[in-house]
Amino acid sequence: MVCPRFLSRLFPLRRRLLLPLALTLLAVMIYPLAFSFWISLHDYRLTRLNDVRFTGVANYLALGNDPAFWTAVVNTLTFVFGAVSLELVIGFTLALLLHRARRFRNLYRSVLLTPMFITPIAVGLMFRFLLNSQLGVIPYLLGKIGARVDWFGPGMALSSIILIDVWQWTPFMLLLLLAGLESLPVPPFEAARVDGASAWLTFRKITLPLMRPVILVALIIRGLDAFKVFEYVYAITRGGPGDSTETVLFHIYKVGFRFFRMGEAAAKAYVVVALTLVLVIVLYWVMTRERRAA
Amino acid sequence: MSAGRAIGAALRGLALALALLLVTFPFFWILLTSLKPPELVARADVWLFAPSVANWRDVLFGSSVPRYIGNSVLVGLATVAITLAVGCPAAYAFSRFRVGGGAGRFAILAAEMMPPAVLIVPFFLLMYRLALIDTVWAVVAAHLTFITPVVVWFLIGFIDEVPRELEQQAMVDGYTQFQAFYKVILPVIRPGLAASAIFAFVLSWNDMFYALILTGGAAKTLPVAIAGYWTFRGIEMGKMAVAILISIVPVLIASFFVQKHLVKGLGGGAVKF
Repeated sequence: MVCPRFLSRLFPLRRRLLLPLALTLLAVMIYPLAFSFWISLHDYRLTRLNDVRFTGVANYLALGNDPAFWTAVVNTLTFVFGAVSLELVIGFTLALLLHRARRFRNLYRSVLLTPMFITPIAVGLMFRFLLNSQLGVIPYLLGKIGARVDWFGPGMALSSIILIDVWQWTPFMLLLLLAGLESLPVPPFEAARVDGASAWLTFRKITLPLMRPVILVALIIRGLDAFKVFEYVYAITRGGPGDSTETVLFHIYKVGFRFFRMGEAAAKAYVVVALTLVLVIVLYWVMTRERRAA
Repeated sequence: MSAGRAIGAALRGLALALALLLVTFPFFWILLTSLKPPELVARADVWLFAPSVANWRDVLFGSSVPRYIGNSVLVGLATVAITLAVGCPAAYAFSRFRVGGGAGRFAILAAEMMPPAVLIVPFFLLMYRLALIDTVWAVVAAHLTFITPVVVWFLIGFIDEVPRELEQQAMVDGYTQFQAFYKVILPVIRPGLAASAIFAFVLSWNDMFYALILTGGAAKTLPVAIAGYWTFRGIEMGKMAVAILISIVPVLIASFFVQKHLVKGLGGGAVKF
């Protein structure tokens, strides 16, 4: 690129290459984040835009006495823990099965991966329809064998939402874990076979330890993503029955865009950011440590 | 031993078949529903019927859904174009000059994981001030927040794999480093670029959260429109099935092209596949 000399000294190529990204992130990310923090320090209501008052950390302190928020946090943690652990177990099982399948492996994989590419709102509405106690085909089929489940009733709704997440996102685990299995070194397995080790012992002593980094990365990425669950709740239960399926993101959406309390919503969002950052730091630490070990 | 092995193989086959059934049945049922005549849509016991195109006709020619598809395509293309334009040079800088070292890469990862909850409040207020509410540009700006970091993350991985000798040779031949970047490196990573572009488009196409809050009328995207089919006023299941299929099919076709590259990108270089 032709450039005056003083400019190219001030902005060496590496900085010029980064500039567009830096400006973009400044505009769509850094500035909104700062603005959001400013909002969180104010009594900022969409219904009273002319009367925005500085309240300091009042929005944060109010969290201590806000059972609705903490219910949403507990619901979300239950959801994340339930969904991600099921996805890991099922995804790993399927990955092991596919890894041993000789024929049609790529076909199986392509079909089994499809759910993760679909827009979550479509998945949510699809299952709202399929599981509906009057219209749904699944209750109809279960009725044939005499089983009755009220999928979105009290006590069951959160579990149903977990199962929907498992349907959509187990493929993600499968994708990463199968790729991990396919890249494992062969010699340890040959040695185990020569020594006559049982399949279970081989799995426990060789497969699992070698797969550890892949499992950890998959768990953390999926966990962070599951924390953002919104569409299933919006599509199906809108937080109900009661507050049993109200998740953090849905709660913040309600406070900000149904009750118009922007300051409160921003403060709650910042608490979520703090939680997320801790997890990202753990993720980064795991990834660099495993890379060094490799 | 061989009997046990046969039973094991049979069990494995059975488990895979069950997984395939669980994955494909919802699609099958939605397809069936979309082809039912409107009066049969609510009947879960009807599996055989004379197929009808009434739902498809109503959605494609008698509703605003084509407009919303257009919005989604526009948002997706604009997001992909901007993302690649700012992402490619940055990824090159991250890969070759190691700018910011580990901290730079970590910032990209942190940006990728930023929860939408914290961005939506300021975004809504900013777009309101700028009079951009209910325009596709508001949605494009919001999509850049989570799509640009993922794409940069992917591209760093792809560029890392290109041997440095390639551009050094080009620079010996008289290219500047920037020319080496866009005349040598970019063509070499074309498959990775294509996969990243498709993946970015899918992410944009699938988002509902930002579009739901930032649009509401003319600029609605397809996912927001789909959500509108199940309201308190009633359910239009047949039409909803059509809209769902319209949103799914292009993405599934795209997914077959990106699956292999996706694995490399997601692991972020930490896990070697």
